[in-house]
Amino acid sequence: MRSFCFVLVAALAMSGAAHAVDRDGAQLELAQAINAVQAAERDDAARYARADLDESHAMLASAQAASDHRDWTGLAMYSERAKVSADLASARSRQHRAEAATAEIERSVDSLRAQLPNGGAP
Amino acid sequence: MNTSHKRLLLTAALTALLGACATVPQGPPPEVVRLQSDLDRLHSDPRIAANAGAELGNADAAVDVLARNSRSLDADSYQQGVYIADHLIRIAEASALARFEEERGAQLGAERERLLARASMTEERTVVTEVRREHPVRTDTGELVPQARAELMSMQNQLPGVESRLDARGLVIRLGDFMFEPGQAMLTGSAQQSLDGVARVLNSDTDAGITIEGFGGPMALARANAVRDYLDARGVDISRIDARSVTRRDIAMADGDRRVDIVIRSEYR
Repeated sequence: MRSFCFVLVAALAMSGAAHAVDRDGAQLELAQAINAVQAAERDDAARYARADLDESHAMLASAQAASDHRDWTGLAMYSERAKVSADLASARSRQHRAEAATAEIERSVDSLRAQLPNGGAP
Repeated sequence: MNTSHKRLLLTAALTALLGACATVPQGPPPEVVRLQSDLDRLHSDPRIAANAGAELGNADAAVDVLARNSRSLDADSYQQGVYIADHLIRIAEASALARFEEERGAQLGAERERLLARASMTEERTVVTEVRREHPVRTDTGELVPQARAELMSMQNQLPGVESRLDARGLVIRLGDFMFEPGQAMLTGSAQQSLDGVARVLNSDTDAGITIEGFGGPMALARANAVRDYLDARGVDISRIDARSVTRRDIAMADGDRRVDIVIRSEYR
């Protein structure tokens, strides 16, 4: 989870050079955001973390609008937001799937224990 | 300078000091306090602390930078920092809880294997033979059930721990969406464990017909085929198996209902 651009943005802001986010850096942020959103979609986030995935799409749209206006600072900031939202969607999707799979196994174990003598104790 | 002047000067100085204290905010802003509180909660949760990966370190670092610089950042940078730090905290929480559940699932899976091994030793000797001896089987209402239904009940009894039910189609074994890798037709380890038991039962009754139905989404047929291929690899005659996808046009289906049903039909039906 690599999201320390905000640290960079903060450092730039403190030095009065926030406007200095360059085009290449901002577009790299955008590329990473797009990759993160695609990864979240592969992780089935549309099913398990819809709100976070929707937010990442909205941030990506804002980033692309900023790019159209050659606003590189806006592009970098929205891209970073899109990336962390997509990472959150992936993490929540993984959590939901793990919980569902474990619950299924737990039901199986409970069912087996109920059927075996002495609850299946070794 | 007389005493009254000294008192006046002292009062003025104290008033100025108190005024300065009132106008300069102390400590971090409320958003940062909230983020720090969220982080404290994560660190004190044993499920998260024991499964914290790099994500929690990232969240710690982001909140630390924000806390140290919050007073000197411009509004946009500060809001960006709050947004990112908040998300990093929630990513850390979800990732750690996912690892916790995965570890718990692995432990329960091992326990299930142990119990299945015990069940296969005891139930094959008792449950199956009892069902056969008690033909014809009666329902709860006292009505006789067909022999086919009894055979399917016998199979069901050999599949403890597998989600199954008897309905008009036959014995239906359900594999939920989470039994497959996300957005793919690849079976998870848990699904394979369940299917190993299903294959054992099907190989012990070579007359039963099998339909594998994939429901919902573009993966439906691919997932049904993956189940068929897995059973084939476990020795179930593939000519007995009909794999297909079921669409919303075929039946009334809840939105997003993705699953695979293995329907086992007895020869008596």
